[in-house]
Amino acid sequence: MKANEQLTDSMFYIMAALTKPRHGYAIMNLIEERSLGQITIGPASMYTIIKKLLKQEWIYLHDGSKARRKTYLLTEKGKEILKADIQLRKLMINLAEEGLKEAEE
Amino acid sequence: MSNTKYMMSGGLAFSENKDMEKLRKFSLKGWHVSTFAFMGYKLTKGTSTDYIYSVDYQLLDTEEKEEYVDFFHASGWTHVTSEANMHLFRALPGTKPIHTERETVAEKHENSGKMLIHAAILLCFMTALFWLGSLITSEGLQITFIVIAIILTAITIPTVGTILTTYHNKWKAEGKIILARIAKSVAILFVITPLFVILLTANSPNSLLRLFISMAIGGIALPVLIWIIMSLYYKFSYKGEKI
Repeated sequence: MKANEQLTDSMFYIMAALTKPRHGYAIMNLIEERSLGQITIGPASMYTIIKKLLKQEWIYLHDGSKARRKTYLLTEKGKEILKADIQLRKLMINLAEEGLKEAEE
Repeated sequence: MSNTKYMMSGGLAFSENKDMEKLRKFSLKGWHVSTFAFMGYKLTKGTSTDYIYSVDYQLLDTEEKEEYVDFFHASGWTHVTSEANMHLFRALPGTKPIHTERETVAEKHENSGKMLIHAAILLCFMTALFWLGSLITSEGLQITFIVIAIILTAITIPTVGTILTTYHNKWKAEGKIILARIAKSVAILFVITPLFVILLTANSPNSLLRLFISMAIGGIALPVLIWIIMSLYYKFSYKGEKI
């Protein structure tokens, strides 16, 4: 994936959960909790995306001392990518909100 | 009565869903899969339970595997068995799927074919070499070349067919329907065309018989070869550590 491509939804959620060091299980829980149970990330998707984000160097292994509780954190590059994606998502939310408001008037 | 049983696989690249559905039905009858076996699964007698099954492909070392399996446990999936890059999981019905995004489903199918690609390139190359050899040799040597070439062809065709099918699966998951259809058509053509060519060029019943024997040898050698390549590949990659 190129840097200027839009993040997939799952990548966005996982990166959003990695502004603090968290391990896989905590990431899944946080996403589910904050989406009020509406978003679940399957374990195979989760693992594939973590690997991909590591390869892109958008996240890094923060603490690898325990295999079962490896924690990850956003890199500076990852933060930039996340910020850019938030901007893009905001634009599209604006489009939807303004459109709905106009339609109601 | 024996308390183990063998269930044949339709080939995971071709019939993953059917295999998983069949495993579920066996579990309902009290036969639960315990390990992958040659071209299938080994089932062990237990109590009847409704389990759903999922397979995933990832090349992992021992340490990575611990974290990987842990992700599954946290989501309600129990690890059943692994062989090379294939990992089988089971869960109770209603558990959320292991892949929740189509991008990662596509990657799963890409991973599934990765191990075969090197073998396929080598096979194609060797097959071409032996057919070429049969053109420039004569008499006894030529027959030897032809027989080896036919055996290799019989191995190469299904191998390439399998890889094309994994690409069909990948593109289908990505919603690239046209590409997926092309991959499937090429796979079918790839299997049918050489068969016709060989049948048409065989000029006597005797050579036809020889041909079928060679093809049969190739047909049996293929799955054995895949099994060996896969076990070796992962043994060499990870120095024999059991994952």
